[in-house]
Amino acid sequence: MIEFKIPMLLIENPLNESALSFPILECFHIVGFAFSVGTIALVDFRLLGWGMKRESAAQIAKETFFWTLGGLIVMIFSGLLLFSSDPDMYYLNYAFDLKMVFLVLAIVFNYTIHRKAAMAEQPAGKGKLIACVSLGLWMCVIFGGIFIGFLNPTLDIHQI
Amino acid sequence: MLLQLALWIQATDFFTYLRGSGYVYPAILSLHMVAIAFFGGMILMTDMRLLGMAFRSRPVADLVDQLRVPKMYGFGLAATCGVLMLGCKAEEYYYNAFFRAKLALLILVGVHALLFHGRVYSKAAAFDQAGRVPGVAKVAASLSLLLWTGIACMGRGIGYIEPPFGIHAQLLHLLKI
Repeated sequence: MIEFKIPMLLIENPLNESALSFPILECFHIVGFAFSVGTIALVDFRLLGWGMKRESAAQIAKETFFWTLGGLIVMIFSGLLLFSSDPDMYYLNYAFDLKMVFLVLAIVFNYTIHRKAAMAEQPAGKGKLIACVSLGLWMCVIFGGIFIGFLNPTLDIHQI
Repeated sequence: MLLQLALWIQATDFFTYLRGSGYVYPAILSLHMVAIAFFGGMILMTDMRLLGMAFRSRPVADLVDQLRVPKMYGFGLAATCGVLMLGCKAEEYYYNAFFRAKLALLILVGVHALLFHGRVYSKAAAFDQAGRVPGVAKVAASLSLLLWTGIACMGRGIGYIEPPFGIHAQLLHLLKI
């Protein structure tokens, strides 16, 4: 039996020194996605013919542009800090991996197809389909985020 | 009394099934968060409009009036999921300080509605005609923002409290096993 010893560089993350930092970051994460996903959903609901019907989808998208962007920035930066607390747990977590895939898809979709649909008056059917895809993608992101906490793989460094 | 009720609720077949169901519980929690994401933004944008920080080129009444009913649907979805989660772990929630704080803030939301519905939220069209939003509306909007972010944060806190020591012995005693 050959014994392997892998040199590990263990760097302490200052965030892990306080038990409060994780829950406080989570609160920022939640408020961030309420702003970003909430404003995107306002546009989607309008495309579905629901909610702010006196405005056009284009007006709603324009008026919420900076709130969406600001929310996304708060959400992503708090998310990165949360991730930094235990990277190898997240790395091994299927829910996290799926969440990241859906997050990238949702953001790209939002600033390409979704934005175009909101800005140009689309035929109603196509607009509705795009709204459903957008809402569906964000729902997948949220489900992925919650399920991270319910699948808990750990990488035991002593077993390597 | 309330504790006995909590014990009875969580012991019903329905909530016993939900608690042990593996993925149904996190799915309900996810839907609770979806409600926050899809409808929380409506509360935020309404209050930000009253504060003059969003939708400035649109009338105040457009946000306040058009989002009133959708916000209620959102609250209904969040509350339904919330009650289902509460039922699963009613005993833990009974002892949970964050849950109590969240309930207190929800009661304050009711007080907020009683105080400001007539003075602010049903007067949005008048603000548009006058061309300015009065101070009382800005106070109402700021308080609403504080209350709802507080509720979201307290809700997150619930998951961080473990049931107190000795709770199971107490349970056995109450059920006289």
